[in-house]
Amino acid sequence: MSWEPRELTEPLCRVEDLPDARSVGFDPLGEGRDTMFVVRKGAQVHAWRNLCPHYDRARMAWKKNEFLNGDHSRIMCAAHGALFRIEDGVCEIGPCIGARLTPVPVDIRGGALWIVGPYAPGFRR
Amino acid sequence: MRIIGPDELIFGVDNVDASRTFLTDYGLADVGDGTFEALDGTAVTIRARDDASLPPALETGSMLRRTVWGVEDQASLDAIEAELSKDREVVKANGQLLCKDDAGFEIGFQLTRRRALDLPAELINSPGAKPGRAMNEVGVDQDAEAKPRTLSHIVYFVPDMDAMANFYIDRLKFVVTDKFTNTGPFLRPQANNDHHVLFMIQTSPYMQGLEHLAFHMQGPTELMLAGSRMVQKGYESFWGPGRHKFGSNWFWYFNSPLGTHVEYDADMDHHDGDWIHREGPMGPEQAQVFLFEHVEKWAPGGPPPGKGGGKPA
Repeated sequence: MSWEPRELTEPLCRVEDLPDARSVGFDPLGEGRDTMFVVRKGAQVHAWRNLCPHYDRARMAWKKNEFLNGDHSRIMCAAHGALFRIEDGVCEIGPCIGARLTPVPVDIRGGALWIVGPYAPGFRR
Repeated sequence: MRIIGPDELIFGVDNVDASRTFLTDYGLADVGDGTFEALDGTAVTIRARDDASLPPALETGSMLRRTVWGVEDQASLDAIEAELSKDREVVKANGQLLCKDDAGFEIGFQLTRRRALDLPAELINSPGAKPGRAMNEVGVDQDAEAKPRTLSHIVYFVPDMDAMANFYIDRLKFVVTDKFTNTGPFLRPQANNDHHVLFMIQTSPYMQGLEHLAFHMQGPTELMLAGSRMVQKGYESFWGPGRHKFGSNWFWYFNSPLGTHVEYDADMDHHDGDWIHREGPMGPEQAQVFLFEHVEKWAPGGPPPGKGGGKPA
C-alpha cells in the first residue's frame, strides 16, 4: 500500500444514501479503519478527518459511524467528550476547545459525493 | 487509612441508551437503576446528564460526576471524615462521606461494596515450570466468558497535578509507585497492592476530566478475547492491545459514549512499602513495552492473491 496522498477515482457514496443529521465514517484508501466521516444536514454535506485535535491521531467515534452526541446536535469525540460544531468543526467545549477538525474538501456531482484533490492516509503506523 | 480503590464511578451522560449498550457489551452486568457491575460488585453508574440526583458537573464537559472510593472498615471512614472535615464540607448521606478533592472533583467514601472473589488466574504451561493446566485441559475457548472482575483504576486530567497528588498522598495516605516526569504520579492506596488505582495527567484547566477508567480481566488471553469482541461489534479501539511498562499491565483502550476511554487491563504488578518508585519521561517508549493493532482474522495457505486462484493453467 502506498502511503502517499492520492486522487480517488470513485465517489464516497450517493448523497441520497446518507441519513440526514447522522454521521457516516469512510475509509477511502482501504486502510482498514475509517479515516474520515461526513454529516449530512439537508442538502449540505460536512466532511472531516477522523482525527481529534486533542491527541495526535486520535480516532473519534465510539462505534462504527457514531461520531455525534446524543441528540445529534454536535460532533462528539468519544475519547474525551470534546464537542464540535457540525458546520465548521470548531470545538466548543472539551479538552481541545477552540481547535478545529481537519476538513475534507468534498463536492457533489451528479448526486454523488466526491473528495476533491489528493487524499492522505490517516491510519497510525 | 484503609482505602481499597474506586468502588463506583457515577456519570451524567447525554446518550443513556448508547452508554447502557456499551457497558453491557464491555462485559458489565446491568443490575438495574443505571448501575453496571463487575464480578466483585464494583461498578459504573450512568444517569441522564440532567438527572437531579447527580452532583454538579464540571464546566469542562466531562461526564464524570462522582468517584466513590471503597474503604475497608468504619475506622477508616471515621479517619477520613475527621481529616477532610478540617478544611472542607463533608456531607454524610446513606453511609457515604461526600466532598470535593483539591482539584474540584466530586468524591465519596463508603464501606466497600466489593465482594471477595475466588476465581482462577489464567493458567499457562511453561517449559521448566510446573504445568499450569491439567493434562488434556485446553487453554483456548473461543466462547469463554470474558467479564471484568473488578474496577482497577482511574486516570484524571487535572490542572494542578501537584496539588491533586498531594491531596491523595498527604491527606488520604496514597503512596507513589512510579512517576512520569512533569505528567503525574501513579498512586496506590493503603489497602491495595495494585501498582496504581489512581493516575493523573497535568493539563490545562479547560481539559479537566477523566482520561480513562479500567477494569481488571483474568489475564492477557481474556483481555484479547474481550477486546476482539468489542472490535467485532464495531467499537472503536483507541490504543492497544499492548503492555505497559509502569505497572506491567496489559492494556486495551476503547472510545466510549461516556466521553472517556474505557480500558481492559490484566496482570498488574503488586507493590508494598518496600518498593522505591521509578521515574521516566512520558512518551511512546516509556508508555509501553510493545503495542499491537487488531486486524481481521487470517490464515496462511492457498495461492497469493491474483495468481490464478490455484487453478492449473
